Amino acid sequence: MIEALFSQPNYLAAKKTLDAVALRQEAIANNLANLETPGYRRVDLSPGFEKQLEQASASGDSGQLAALQPTLAPDATAKPSSKDGNTVKLEDELMRMNQNTMVHAMETQMVSGMLAKMRLAITGHS
Amino acid sequence: MIELLSGIKNTSAALEAERTRLDVIAQNIANAHTTRDVDGQPYQRRVVVFENQLQNAMGAGATDGSDLPAMQVASIQRDPRPPLQVYDPGNPAADGKGMVSMPNINIHEEMADMISASRTFEANLAVVKNARSMAMQTLAIGRH
Amino acid sequence: MSPLNAIPSYSAGFTQPIAPLPNNDVSDIPSQLPSATSVGASDFSSMLGKFVSEVNTQQLNASQQVGALQSGANVPLHQAVISMEEASVSFQMMVEVRNRLLESYQEIMRMQV
Repeated sequence: MIEALFSQPNYLAAKKTLDAVALRQEAIANNLANLETPGYRRVDLSPGFEKQLEQASASGDSGQLAALQPTLAPDATAKPSSKDGNTVKLEDELMRMNQNTMVHAMETQMVSGMLAKMRLAITGHS
Repeated sequence: MIELLSGIKNTSAALEAERTRLDVIAQNIANAHTTRDVDGQPYQRRVVVFENQLQNAMGAGATDGSDLPAMQVASIQRDPRPPLQVYDPGNPAADGKGMVSMPNINIHEEMADMISASRTFEANLAVVKNARSMAMQTLAIGRH
Repeated sequence: MSPLNAIPSYSAGFTQPIAPLPNNDVSDIPSQLPSATSVGASDFSSMLGKFVSEVNTQQLNASQQVGALQSGANVPLHQAVISMEEASVSFQMMVEVRNRLLESYQEIMRMQV
């Protein structure tokens, strides 16, 4: 019974997106820390994950959503921005960090709202 | 200890490294005219060398940030370029031909380095600020 | 003409008698429908027991994640916080279920025999 309570596809999708956002923040932090390191290649979320998440939340399959796992990988599409082979671009990275923060804020609010709704449904008041 | 800010270890290493770089640049600028260093030679420009310290082999599929390469200062080395020869016969350090060996420090180079070091430093500070605000938001989940 | 006959006769549309259904036997209806009496005390208490143990598992899971976070392990902060909130919500649900059961019990006891 408890499992059903927390197995709504939207809720699961929000939680998985939060996982991905936290991981992405680590990747961006690492990229910026290595902004000047020679030969460093930037890392980001594995490209397949976003498509999988979209597909799973469109299909509404809770099992599929619960099994998703975001991972980090070196970004194969990044081109070197300096002679020493470093592929991190400062402006791009800062933009990505901004966007990541916004997504985090949105997903946090959604999860919070869903939990508040559950409490309301259970107790009749918040 | 509790690690509430994700990905912060590498950032603090980078902040320290950039600070070291700024210190070295300041030292270079201060010694731009030092014709006799402690070893009797003209001051030799110092250069900071960064390197990546791979904690584990970074392959695809890392599920958290602990496997990412951490940046650190490998060493502070001397610039191998020879000192500048400047014609200044009035200088007590001039040799027989009136040439003085001056440190091979180019002020423009140092300023450009300083700007790029400051930029990286500020970018990493922004990362810390951002991580903090994200953590505060996370802690507010479920609060009415 | 009586008013009854004034109504256009809908039977005019039924030109043939309605044919009986081809498979007129009811033997394919499962005979093991759970009878009302079998959903008795044992099922309900086992359901309740399962519910309590699920809530307990969730509480243990949440406290384990928080413990791991405090000891410096690699638990993402949002996972620990969300587990705590989920455990709290399920606990609240259990408390409400208990309250409702108590109310219904008291209601029954108050009934005049």
